[in-house]
Amino acid sequence: MQNGELEQVARKICAKRGLQFVQRVGEGAFKQTFHVVDGKHTPLALKVFKATSSNKRDQREIDAMLRCKHSNIARLVCVENCSHVGQQFVAITEEFLPGGTLTAKGQLSIAQGVAVGKQLVEAIAHIAALHLVHRDIKPDNILFRADDSTPVITDFGVVRDLTDSSITPTWAARGPGTPFFAAPEQLNNEKSLTDWRTDQFALGVVLAYSVLGTHPYSESGISDREIVDRVAARRAPGDWFQGRAAEAGLPALLKMVAPWPVDRFRRPEMLTRAWSEQKG
Amino acid sequence: MAVYHQMGHHSNNLIDLQDMSTYAGAIFSPINCTETEAASQGEGAKQSKANFEIILDPQLYVPATERGKLRKWSYFPKDVDTADFTDARWWTELNKKLAGACKKIKANAVCSPVVIPKVFDDKYYANAVRVGSELCALMQKDGINVMQTALVSFAELGSGTRPLEVASIISGTDADRVYLVLVGSTPPRREIAEVDELKGAMQLINALERNKVPVTVGFCSSDILLWKTAGASGCASGKFFNLRRFTRQRFEEPAEGGGQLPYWFEEELMAFLRQGDLLRIRKHGLLGEASRRNPFGQQILAQIDEAERTRTKLKPWLAISWRQFLYWFADVESRLSKGTVDAEYLLKAGDANWSRLDKDKVLMEERGNDGTWVRAWLNAVNEYKASK
Repeated sequence: MQNGELEQVARKICAKRGLQFVQRVGEGAFKQTFHVVDGKHTPLALKVFKATSSNKRDQREIDAMLRCKHSNIARLVCVENCSHVGQQFVAITEEFLPGGTLTAKGQLSIAQGVAVGKQLVEAIAHIAALHLVHRDIKPDNILFRADDSTPVITDFGVVRDLTDSSITPTWAARGPGTPFFAAPEQLNNEKSLTDWRTDQFALGVVLAYSVLGTHPYSESGISDREIVDRVAARRAPGDWFQGRAAEAGLPALLKMVAPWPVDRFRRPEMLTRAWSEQKG
Repeated sequence: MAVYHQMGHHSNNLIDLQDMSTYAGAIFSPINCTETEAASQGEGAKQSKANFEIILDPQLYVPATERGKLRKWSYFPKDVDTADFTDARWWTELNKKLAGACKKIKANAVCSPVVIPKVFDDKYYANAVRVGSELCALMQKDGINVMQTALVSFAELGSGTRPLEVASIISGTDADRVYLVLVGSTPPRREIAEVDELKGAMQLINALERNKVPVTVGFCSSDILLWKTAGASGCASGKFFNLRRFTRQRFEEPAEGGGQLPYWFEEELMAFLRQGDLLRIRKHGLLGEASRRNPFGQQILAQIDEAERTRTKLKPWLAISWRQFLYWFADVESRLSKGTVDAEYLLKAGDANWSRLDKDKVLMEERGNDGTWVRAWLNAVNEYKASK
């Protein structure tokens, strides 16, 4: 029972560090996240997973989070190793974000979308400046602070460091990430085409989905799987989306989700400037 | 919108004339001059024309070939023939030395270093972009502009989405502009006539330009028509590029070879003509308006007429022929940029004129000089426009 095992590890760490265990708040394939509180009543997120000798991704995640210093990116508090019943575990303590996920917020108004988008654009610009590609920008990985208006990017589990060698094997048909929000180059595992513009695409999809209620590549009556296939095949965004984005005063979205990176905003500052001009 | 002089052997004086004032700068080749000579020539050019841009192309394209004076340059890596090009440290060291050489010659800009690979794959382009971006960071404090060199094989551009793939990787550079060198295998004195490859090259240029990445196409000739149609911001040519484009063979020829016969460029045919052909074409009334007002063309014709009139030996016109071409090159770029003429119009006229020569049974001295490429270029332009 790995789930119970991870909770036992979390409770063990809490006991050791004088933290108060509150509850489990999230669960991935190999990780669980727990809400804990420290001695100063500061809520924290404790992420626990089993250590493996070959898991470079976990180290990349930790390294990436340590390098990021931005108000819209989750802050890493500490990392520790823990032994439990003869096995090694890793525990990452991050700030706790009580405002819930972007998914839970449902559809945003255009004004809300513009405001949230502005902060997230700045966050991915910060990630880009560090030569990192998050590769899993999606509503579930965007949480809010207690003020309910400050979005924070979390979960650097599949982060790519462009200054380091790629972990994903070249034979893999698809790169890591969540297909519904992924860029074509990610879906097709085109490593040399993957850079900050890959995150730009995903953010464009997230914002389109959150504000306009649709995936940019959606067409009437097609399934999510078919949408992903359309993205991978680099078909143009749907006509409905093109009209709706312009009508909503969000034309930058069209460029953000262009099928080819060359047609997206080339540099983070260009995206930042364009987004600041979105009338909404 | 600019033309650049791709410097060749002792060619610095070619554009140092009032009639060549439209050249915005020169791309220096270290194969043809030393650092000291480059500094002196650059200084001279800047004195005669304000804002004249001195660009250094480090020319490490093909290892193990004739390198002329390149070996004497301070950045030239002595291990270039044996180096591991996948080693990032090798490129970093090269970039540092290249930055030093640029400062010495007071260059305004530098093309990022590349080599010709065995295979033009994504990794090759990604490495070129990494090296170019690294050079940008090094040059930033010195105010020397970096042009991202994109050495692209014509052959790969003919296939499907490859132009957009290459454009996507290249546009990831930190450099503000791209120096595009199209590598082909077309022999000297022959024109590139693969429609799909030409169309692909146009798509590559357009993808970069429409996303505000200015492209300067190096080693151009009359193919400037195609690149301007695709929106290229700049094109560069030199005295020999009327005859030899960027092929691997050009590195295997002696520095002084390959261009010793004078050629006349005729816009009405989009072709280079030997003296005998020029006389034939003139008789047929096919010297176009662009040729008639070309001051160097006028000089050539005056020399020919003078020799005929006085029955004396014709003075050599090789050097004037280079200028005749370079003048046309700048002139057509200006007309294309202003929109007073377009490639389709010029190519249609050229095609019609070749048909007329065919009908009149007029053959050029060189068997391959038959105008067949004009139709291929016309198809490339039309297919490119249709694909947009």
